[in-house]
Order: sequence, then structure tokens, then C-alpha cells
Amino acid sequence: MNIKKKDIASEIFTGSMADISFLLIIYFMITSAFSATRGLDFALPEETDTPEIKQEDSIEVHVMPGGAIEVDKKEIPIDGLLPYVLEKLQQNPDKPVILRTDPDATYGDMIGVFDRLRRANDEWTDDFGNPMYKDVNGDPLTEIKTISIPTQREIENIWNLLGMG
Amino acid sequence: MALIRGRDRGTGAAIFTASMADIVFLLIVFFVLTYKVEVDKTQMSLPETWIRKKVPEKAAVISISPPNMGSTIRVSTGEEMALPVATIEEVITFASTEVAKNPNREFILKADKNSPYGRVDEVLDALKQSKVKYIFLLSEQLTAAEL
Repeated sequence: MNIKKKDIASEIFTGSMADISFLLIIYFMITSAFSATRGLDFALPEETDTPEIKQEDSIEVHVMPGGAIEVDKKEIPIDGLLPYVLEKLQQNPDKPVILRTDPDATYGDMIGVFDRLRRANDEWTDDFGNPMYKDVNGDPLTEIKTISIPTQREIENIWNLLGMG
Repeated sequence: MALIRGRDRGTGAAIFTASMADIVFLLIVFFVLTYKVEVDKTQMSLPETWIRKKVPEKAAVISISPPNMGSTIRVSTGEEMALPVATIEEVITFASTEVAKNPNREFILKADKNSPYGRVDEVLDALKQSKVKYIFLLSEQLTAAEL
């Protein structure tokens, strides 16, 4: 007896693959986040390594409402901030910068000044990363070692400790 | 007659689509690798900065909504969607719990650039009280034209 074998088609239907792929792309594009993955890093001091800072040993930057700044009680333009800090750090490279912001100023104002201070490393080194300035001891000056951002409660505590609250 | 037959010869004007599937798969692979769900979808204008460091993945997130949205504070562990908190004490409780699990836990602070600093100060103070060590202040890139 002569039995004819029937050929059974064994193929995977891939016609809808392109549609599925496009749906997946649209899903990932909508749900993934790109822009919100970078920012200014800020390390808080641990209680054990918090030195007592006297006001005269520091550079006090006060951000006022509207974005204007006062440095050591003198109003200066924002572009004058880093040159002023550089001049002070050349005399004493360990001087901390205290960034104090008025509660009525905006967060954007404060971040603008903080970013400006953090840019010291870019502005005080050349294109190859070599230091452009030296301190009074002849050591290279490439950054602000300490930028402190006290909160309103901490400032009030200091005033109370000084009996001025 | 030959002239008429010549007219029938149509010029093929098809778009080559054979490589489309490859491009689509490459895009899928790219999105799968870079995929990160936004745990806080509050729409806000972030402040612009020149210095921008990559924030750690899965860091805890604290967001402050813009003033016109009530300056609401939301918290997230970085793995779940952000939930609103009513008081600053709840932020302290949340941050303290996270720090207790991991003393080097990083926190991301996401706030609108027009938020009053007083509100941000409250959150920073709460994080300091909770013994948080590392904070990332989320920002957008400042362009050279804005300098």
C-alpha cells in the first residue's frame, strides 16, 4: 500500500513580532527616567568629627531672598564669590565656608550659590587639572575643603549657647 | 510595440524594511538596560547646576512638591512609589528606619527650585537628626549659555 506522507508546516508565526516590539519600546520610553539621575552630592558631618567653628575662623556666605549674597556681612555679586573665597583660603586653606540661607529665599537661590562654591575645583585648575593657585604655605589650592550648610535649628542652638537667643 | 511594453516596466519605489526588526530589538535592549522606574512622579522644575554627580540607584527619595502644589513632602525607599507624609516627624521616622538598616544609606532630595528654602531646611534638619551621611540634591544640567 502506498501511503502518502503529509507535510506538516512547522513554522513560528512572526508577523506580530514588530507590533509587540514597538509596544515594548513605547512602554520603556514612557516609564523610564533619564533626567532625574544626577545632582549635587553633599556629605553631612558625623557628630564625632564636627569641629567647633568660630565665626571669625570661617567665611560666612548668606543667601538672601532674591538670590543676592552677603559674604562676611558685605554684599557682593555672585561672580565675586569665588575670587573672595580664594583670597581668604590663600591665607588659611583650612577655613570652612558656612552657607546660610534665608528661609524666605528659594531653594534654587541656595543651590545656585552652593554650585558656585563647588565649582572652585574647575576654576582653580587648568585644563589639565594642574593647580593654578597656591596657599601661603606654598601648597596647591584646588578646592574648598569644607562647605558647611547649617540648618535654622542649628543656628538657633548656637545663638542660644552664646546667650543671644 | 516594443515602446508600449517598455512603458509597463515600473520602477520599484519600496522602502527597505528588513533591518527595522534589528533596530527595534537594539532599542529594546537599550531601554531594558537603562530602565529605571521613577518612584516619584511629581512634576517640578529642578534647580540647574554645573556640577552634577550620578545619584546612586535605589537611594531613598524625599521630594518636596512645588509651592502651588502645597509643598507636600513625599518619601520613598527607592523601590516603591513615593507616599506623602503629613509631618516632619514622619520624615525623621522614615529616615531613621532607613539609616538603622544601612548606616551609609544615601538619600536623594528632590525639590522644586521655587520652593521656599525654609521648607527644604526642615527636611535637611530632619535628615541630620536621623544621622544621614550622604544626600544628593537632584538637579538639571546648567548649560554654558545660562552661566
